[in-house]
Amino acid sequence: MSTGLERERPPVEVTEADLEAVIGDRALSRDDHLNAPGFVIRPDDVQDVLSDLKERAGFDHLSCLTAQQYEDRYESIYHMKKYADPTQEVSIVVPTPTDEPVSESAEPVFRTADWHEREAFDLVGIDYEGHPDPRRILLPETWQGHPLSHDYDQEKPQLVTLTEHANPVQPDHHEAESDTMFLNVGPHHPATHGVLHIKAVLDGESVVDVDPDIGYLHRCEEQMCQQGTYRHQIMPYPDRWDYVSAGLLNEWAYARAAEDLADIEVPEYAQIIRTMGAEFCRIASHMLALATFALDVYGDFTAIFQYGMRDREVVQDILEDLTGQRLMFNYFRLGGVAWDLPEPREEFFAKCRNFLDELPAKVDEYHDLLTGNEIFQVRTIDTGILEPDVAKDYGCTGPVARGSGIDYDLRRDDPYGYYPELDWNVVTMDGCDNYARVLTRMQEVEESAKIIEQCLDLLEDWPEDERDIQSNVPRTLKPDADSEIYRAVEGAKGELGIYIRSDGTDKPARFKIRSPCFHNLSALGEMVEDEYIPDLIASLGSLDIVLGEVDR
Amino acid sequence: MDGRIDAVAPAPLQNDETVLLPERIGELTGLDGFGVGGELLAAFLAAFLVGNLMLAMTGVAGPWAKRKITAAFTDRIAVNRLGPAGLFIIVADAVRLLSKELVIPENADRPAYDLAPIVVASSALLGFAVIPMGSGIHLADPEVGLAFVFAVAGIASIGLVMAGYASSNKYSLLGGLRAVAQNVAYEIPLVITGLSVVIFAGSLQMSTIVEAQAETLVDLGVVTIPAWYALVNPFAFVLFLLANFAEVGRNPFDTPEAPTEIVAGYQTEYSSVYFVLIYLGEFLHIFLGGAIIATIFLGGPAGPGPAELGIVWFLIKIWAVFLLTQWLRSAVPRVRIDQLIEIGWKGLLVLSFANLILTAVIVGLIA
Repeated sequence: MSTGLERERPPVEVTEADLEAVIGDRALSRDDHLNAPGFVIRPDDVQDVLSDLKERAGFDHLSCLTAQQYEDRYESIYHMKKYADPTQEVSIVVPTPTDEPVSESAEPVFRTADWHEREAFDLVGIDYEGHPDPRRILLPETWQGHPLSHDYDQEKPQLVTLTEHANPVQPDHHEAESDTMFLNVGPHHPATHGVLHIKAVLDGESVVDVDPDIGYLHRCEEQMCQQGTYRHQIMPYPDRWDYVSAGLLNEWAYARAAEDLADIEVPEYAQIIRTMGAEFCRIASHMLALATFALDVYGDFTAIFQYGMRDREVVQDILEDLTGQRLMFNYFRLGGVAWDLPEPREEFFAKCRNFLDELPAKVDEYHDLLTGNEIFQVRTIDTGILEPDVAKDYGCTGPVARGSGIDYDLRRDDPYGYYPELDWNVVTMDGCDNYARVLTRMQEVEESAKIIEQCLDLLEDWPEDERDIQSNVPRTLKPDADSEIYRAVEGAKGELGIYIRSDGTDKPARFKIRSPCFHNLSALGEMVEDEYIPDLIASLGSLDIVLGEVDR
Repeated sequence: MDGRIDAVAPAPLQNDETVLLPERIGELTGLDGFGVGGELLAAFLAAFLVGNLMLAMTGVAGPWAKRKITAAFTDRIAVNRLGPAGLFIIVADAVRLLSKELVIPENADRPAYDLAPIVVASSALLGFAVIPMGSGIHLADPEVGLAFVFAVAGIASIGLVMAGYASSNKYSLLGGLRAVAQNVAYEIPLVITGLSVVIFAGSLQMSTIVEAQAETLVDLGVVTIPAWYALVNPFAFVLFLLANFAEVGRNPFDTPEAPTEIVAGYQTEYSSVYFVLIYLGEFLHIFLGGAIIATIFLGGPAGPGPAELGIVWFLIKIWAVFLLTQWLRSAVPRVRIDQLIEIGWKGLLVLSFANLILTAVIVGLIA
């Protein structure tokens, strides 16, 4: 079920020479990033190069696609990794001319490119040739212009007209034997966990087709981050992506990318506090996921929902003691954390240990009431199947991927913080169904508790005069011009990545967020086809999406 | 069990010893001296009394008891601001609900849309007409009492379909269709299981069924355990209980409403007074289900103490069933619609027939 911290590395590391051999003379030049070698290719070689990298070099994870505009060109960057070893990375840079930004779509190679390229088209304005569904994704269909392109006029008022929803499968289903019904699930619906609109086509009670319509919660987070200075102004934003108590995990994503970009050290003591705080956030987040999933399956605010909220409340109190805030923590600083543990320290440690001591009994209670319930098992086992290959194709990560048996956890595979020094396990389940995803989260709560306990031991014994919470970081950060980095951490929902390009000023020239929920949600269609409506709702719940992070 | 098994000759239209509520009111007020008109008025008064008793119970159950019970299951406090233990929330909620704007969808199919809430609420109220509640509260005692209850309770399905179809909302439609599929699947096991009780009692008449249960099952000396059919045939009792939950659409069978799936099912588009009526109807149906269970399985109004306490025991039994529905609501997940239908047709139906045959054989052997 779970493996130890040491995983089997793939036998062969792909060297840069191998990469050069695979890409061959299709590489026009090099454009290395801080995290990975980068190869510039022609816009019509995209599918070729990507499929060669996938088939021959094993880069099976299209982690992110960043699109941006320079003075003289547009650029799409495909950040590729391996599920087997995410430290092996390569960036494929595809420049396109300003007057004709057309690039070949990568969708036939990676399904996840579908949504990514739609977003790149929507926000930056690059056209992807051969894309099966070239619509806007975050902004309304009638929006004029592309907000992240240079010639976008922010002053121009936008008229968003309401178009009536057409049945998307009508053309190819009108001669089918049975009649289908088009149903809007959301944007206001009890089970969408935020403002999500699912265009569902039903055949009786079973689902023929779903098309998630996102963007209702789009708050221009990327652009806002581009307008803040590295040192202090960006850190509050990550709290607002996955806003249900995963704040510290998100902050770490920005901290890690920015610290690697500006070459900032973090004291060991601060790393331990970060690790502990992040795992508390993971527990709180998974508790909420469990509670709301129960809500979706039970259909009411029932006992299990209330128990989940009750236990999350304890974690929330601890985080409040630690950071001073309950949700929007703003606790991490580049080079450390904002302040030390609260005084009196003994009281704080006692509170944490008390929570850890009570946790096993509570987890047992959940198993008794929820996972042991036969009706619950009938409802969740073998529903919402997400095969590992499909999950990888859609770039799924986090508990969703691990529930499908993909042994992938950045805390172990791309180590950061204090995780490598601690003893814990990565939880994976082979079920690939809604039940497996729930169990994965429940076991991850226990693993997080193990991590926290070890952190507490370390913090308690830490010599008083060595408690450095921040390293010495310049007041104004100006990373080298034209340095680019893509770094990811294991957020509550999966791989939360940040791409930053510096232009030598104290603000990022491009700030791109790789949201795990965005990818996980894109796989919904694969999971629910031919399932019943209740399973559509349950599968959506099992993905544990937060729309704030999907829409950014 | 008793001599009634061989009752081939028609049973008396009414047991001589039972005095029904309309007659008693007629006597008390002297209305019985005014011929048919007086009898009608007395009957109307009696029905008014019983109807109001039931409505008052739903009034307590809906805004207050349900909240308190659910809160107890989920470690909360619930309403406690208005009056003792928050009881006055009932008044506040009544005012609030009745003063809401009545929003009617543009494309609603008007007569059907308006009639549906009334059908749902009144079908349940009708059922109470034949239930013997003890302490002399019994409106009518027709020979076909049990069949009558099932028949009028079944009318609610029509109301649900009307609501689902006439609201011109896809969620309502889905809910309405689910309600029909569910009621058809569970009404048959319900009636068949009820039939096994009829085999025991030898009559469809409610008063006879209650009387038959007054006999002694086991005499332990200190306490006498009566022959309540829940004790005589626990298997049938469990079957009936299950089918009843599905029939009234409660967890784990609350698929017609299924809040997280289809918003609120057939009642999605109902607001204000109509919403109250539908809600009332639902609670009345739970109580009617409880009343049927109490009558045919739990000895009706029987209980320790003088016979005048009958109504108290009867209400306790009804509320026990209500409590059970709330318990299930807090603790049990909802089954999927296809699983629900499967349980109904492949499980309960088969079991209920098995139970019927078994009962017939056993009763035949003993008699």
